[in-house]
Amino acid sequence: MSAGGEVLLRVSGVRRSFGPEHAVAGVDLTVRAGEVHALVGLNGAGKTTLMRLMLGMLRPDAGSVRLGEVDVRDLPAHAWGAVGHLIETPFAYGELTVDETLYAAARLRGLDRAEAREAVRAVVDELDLGHWARRRARNLSLGNRQRLGLACAVLHRPRLLVLDEPSNGLDPAGVLRVRRHLVRAAEAGAGVLVSSHHLDEMARMAHRITVLHRGRVIGALPPGGVDLEQQFLAMVYAAEGLDAEVAR
Amino acid sequence: MRAALEVEALKLRRSGAARIAALVLLLAVPGAAAGFLAAARMRGDSMLAAKVEGLVIGEGWTALLGLVGQLLSVAVLLAVGVVVAWSFGREHVDGTFGALFALPTARRDVALAKTAVLVAWGLVLSVGAVAVTALLGLTLGLGTPGADAAGAAGRAVVVGVPSVLLALPLGWVAGVGRGYLPAIGALLGLVVVTQVVTVLGAGAWFPWAAPGMWSGMGGAELAATVTPVQLLLAVPVGAVATWATAAWWARAEVR
Repeated sequence: MSAGGEVLLRVSGVRRSFGPEHAVAGVDLTVRAGEVHALVGLNGAGKTTLMRLMLGMLRPDAGSVRLGEVDVRDLPAHAWGAVGHLIETPFAYGELTVDETLYAAARLRGLDRAEAREAVRAVVDELDLGHWARRRARNLSLGNRQRLGLACAVLHRPRLLVLDEPSNGLDPAGVLRVRRHLVRAAEAGAGVLVSSHHLDEMARMAHRITVLHRGRVIGALPPGGVDLEQQFLAMVYAAEGLDAEVAR
Repeated sequence: MRAALEVEALKLRRSGAARIAALVLLLAVPGAAAGFLAAARMRGDSMLAAKVEGLVIGEGWTALLGLVGQLLSVAVLLAVGVVVAWSFGREHVDGTFGALFALPTARRDVALAKTAVLVAWGLVLSVGAVAVTALLGLTLGLGTPGADAAGAAGRAVVVGVPSVLLALPLGWVAGVGRGYLPAIGALLGLVVVTQVVTVLGAGAWFPWAAPGMWSGMGGAELAATVTPVQLLLAVPVGAVATWATAAWWARAEVR
């Protein structure tokens, strides 16, 4: 698989430390229009921190993140309307119903009232949330909260999606639905950056798979390839200076 | 900004904490004032009657509305303070703070919208508490309220204004402390410090003490010593708190 659209997001030499811990230690990465770019790595590899740096949730110690041609630190607020994201905790307020949560998300993403109502209706259908539309977010299961968070991230049809473990807590049907949605979004021209531990899942939908380890990009895996787990672990062991056979 | 106002108003309308606080201000405070007045009228030799007599200034409507003003000076700070702490702190406790990044609605605007909605809500409740008290007074047979009653009602409503503004610094504490518990702790600290400062005699120059003193909590003589400038100190406190909270929200990172 390949996709070679314009660069929507460019990360250049980004570093971020927390005390002595180098969470992201000089990463270069792009997300192009029309592609699903997967970011894989072990727990603590720096995936979430990197995504937070991309979205302005953290400021880099060095390097830059550019959305289009503009550094995200200088990006005017309205420009974020082209971005959808789900990083760890979904946009879900326990006291609001699913419908109200989606409406609130749509309004904060720049949609006017009529557009917001229409976007809510569309995304409820698309992600099959109708059964829970009147239920308060606090009464949803983990999986349905995650679906709600995803729905909030995509309902304004962003050009760039940044999703951290989007299939977290989802049942197989939910995983399939999300995968289809992301593939369709990419086919429609969006750029999708998605992190996951699930290599099989990434192999099925990604155009590029980048491996992150100890805050650095240590290589890429062939999308659609076989035995990705072995290749991934061999790459990680090599980065650690270990013999993959011995480590196994 | 309009979207942020709409969303924050929706969150407040659905909030259990805000509903309980509203019930306290609209029912418990007028009810307590009527109860205190009844106890004072009975002129019994109970401890309650003795204590309450010191709080009652005037007769009839003036006494009832004066008592409500005194109770509101504390209750508005506590009730609005708890909800301010919740509104700003819950974004950290619930983990939704990160979801407010990378949006066309700036976080500074979200913080300002929270403040605007909370101030409006607090002021409406202050007026509502006085209105409920007026209904209660009619029910209790205090007769047609006159000019004195209107003055006392106005005073009770005005007490609510600085009390609402003085709760706003708790929004900043909830941000810096990344949760509502540090802000609730600060609220309790404010109440204690206000008591200490009042006992030490600094009184009305301490912004959190002025509304209570002006409402007559220390008696009519002390109330007469409180100047408009001392009451208006709540305005710069509220303004600085609003600016500091919005600035913190604009600059803070996700943890």
